[in-house]
Amino acid sequence: MRKICSVLLLVLLAAGSAFAQPQVEVKEWTVPFLNCLTGPIAAIGEYLEWGAERAAFEINAAGGIKGKPVKVVGVDTAMDPQKGSVEMAKLVENTLVALGPVPEPVIMAAMPIAVENGMMSFTATTSYEYAVKYFPWTVSWFPPTELRLGVLVAAWAKQFSDIKTVIQFVEPYGPWPGMADAHVKGLTGMGVKVLDKVEVPSDAVTFGPLAVKALDAKPDGIVFVCNAEKIAKIIKELKSRGWTKMDHLLVFSSGDAPELYSTGGKDVDGIQVYNYINPFVDNPRWNAFKAAFEKDHNGMAPFSLSPNYYDALYMIKEAIEKTGVTGDPKKLKEERKKIADYCANVKGFKGIQFNWDMKDGVPTNKPTYIFTIENGAKTLTKEVR
Amino acid sequence: MPLPLYYFLSITAVNVLMSWALYLPYRVTNLHFIVVANMAISGYTAAYMVMNLHIPFGVALLAGFLLGGLIGYVVSLFIGDAPTFAVVIVGFTFIYITRTVIENMKVIGGTLGLFGLPSIGGSPAVHRWIIIAILYGLVLLVGFLIHRFDHSRLGRAASAVFVDKELAASLGVDIKKLGMLVQTFSCTLAGGCGVLYGFIYRSFHLDFFTFHLVGIYMTTIFVGGYTTLWGALILTPILYGVPLLFPSAIQAWRIVIYGAVLILVLVLKPEGFITRRRVASIETFLSRIRKKRNIQ
Repeated sequence: MRKICSVLLLVLLAAGSAFAQPQVEVKEWTVPFLNCLTGPIAAIGEYLEWGAERAAFEINAAGGIKGKPVKVVGVDTAMDPQKGSVEMAKLVENTLVALGPVPEPVIMAAMPIAVENGMMSFTATTSYEYAVKYFPWTVSWFPPTELRLGVLVAAWAKQFSDIKTVIQFVEPYGPWPGMADAHVKGLTGMGVKVLDKVEVPSDAVTFGPLAVKALDAKPDGIVFVCNAEKIAKIIKELKSRGWTKMDHLLVFSSGDAPELYSTGGKDVDGIQVYNYINPFVDNPRWNAFKAAFEKDHNGMAPFSLSPNYYDALYMIKEAIEKTGVTGDPKKLKEERKKIADYCANVKGFKGIQFNWDMKDGVPTNKPTYIFTIENGAKTLTKEVR
Repeated sequence: MPLPLYYFLSITAVNVLMSWALYLPYRVTNLHFIVVANMAISGYTAAYMVMNLHIPFGVALLAGFLLGGLIGYVVSLFIGDAPTFAVVIVGFTFIYITRTVIENMKVIGGTLGLFGLPSIGGSPAVHRWIIIAILYGLVLLVGFLIHRFDHSRLGRAASAVFVDKELAASLGVDIKKLGMLVQTFSCTLAGGCGVLYGFIYRSFHLDFFTFHLVGIYMTTIFVGGYTTLWGALILTPILYGVPLLFPSAIQAWRIVIYGAVLILVLVLKPEGFITRRRVASIETFLSRIRKKRNIQ
């Protein structure tokens, strides 16, 4: 009998060890975030960092990742490719997974290092066209520009039967001209004539001549693909020259930034904006996020990119928990791959605003929204899927 | 070689070479910012040659040097003896024009940039060693050439031009030819640096070549010392490397620290840390040691 009991005990122990979760090898999960904490876009960097740290705060309050706390460590690149590349080179030596880099020039200098060393890094603020170059070691946070934006702008134009011609203000920066091209395809697909674009120089300081040029073409609608502050100034110029159909003005997602509202003031009331996040979502996580953001930012509502790295950290958490990652430095290569593979094809990921799926690193069912600005704040006009 | 060390060494070498590319024309009072535009033009051209025309990297690099030199020469025909301010304006204008042209050329990526430059030599490790070897070979060669220039009749003529152009002309110095020589040499060097800069990152983006670079090189030569080549050589690794060692709490103050150092240097030591007198005293000290050894 004793023999049988011993054998049974051994079998149970063996089975138990075989099915047990792998032991976590770290005291704390450290996730570095290559971000712009100083330099020309430090304000945006702060919002992004805040989102990631908010997620870490919530995760730790709920018991951490596999029972261990997570810490987001901000690594400043100051928007400098020279600094970004050295910092990424330091990280790839022993980091499991990273957030960033931000923005495109630093992504282009630093991401090849992550790819070469097989380390996943979330470039969650850039467009698909940049992210896809670094697959499978990053995922795209946005669907391909050409597929999504055409549909979105067409949905805007469909609201107004009098829109027959549209003109675009386009600033030559990173993916923006590509976004403008996607708008053209969407609009021409529904029979709207797109007039020659008005190019907005990156160093433009006066906008009157640009507004005159656009008005001279007599468009029925205008789409803005440039920096938020410039959009606000161009709209002021358009209004001062007699433009009245405010909802016939559409601002692209990157233009939906605090400068649009602070510089535009009452002059931007009535215009429409498209974006990937919806501040009117009503769920406990988003409500808590919004309240905390407003508390830490003098009552300002969350900026459109601020939840991106919040969701990215939760995605890392899910990947670690569901793939048996232990944080063991000896398994670094294999565990990095596990995280990358999981994130590239995650299904039903519970984001702060909505659930979504990924297929080969690309989100397949994220919604987009069109808003109208009223009294300096957005109101939801329609959801576009 | 550890990766961070590779990036530190390679970017430092580019910064040293580019600071020299600014230093040399400044010997005849020309602040020749066109070198930053040259980096971009040659860099993008070489990348296109390698990626689309499948031309070997060595040939593309050589083409980058030549293209830089050609642009420098043609421009110098017009501004070889121009006043400092005019040269500055031409440089800034060139940077703007270059950006606009590249933004509108989809064949080289336009505003998106160029991705996926290949590894030279077939593997990333070999790529890194080749880049480092070329860069430090260039640092030695260019350093030697500038050192010889500074100690030659041409260098003394450049010093005379720096002090007083009219006086130098009355002494028989051909100001325009001298200006053309240093401008062409600087642009040639910048062209090659542009190619190597992009191949360090294995990408090209327009924002790699901004006025930010002008700021870095200006700070280097004005804090390091604009009267000798040693200022740039010594100060570049310090200005670039020390901030990387700053704890994160101090990182945010980096720009303030830079600004304060620059103001202090301009007020207390307008010629920069490494002056010609300091170099001469070190040379005298070293020659005394050598003589003593010879006597013993």
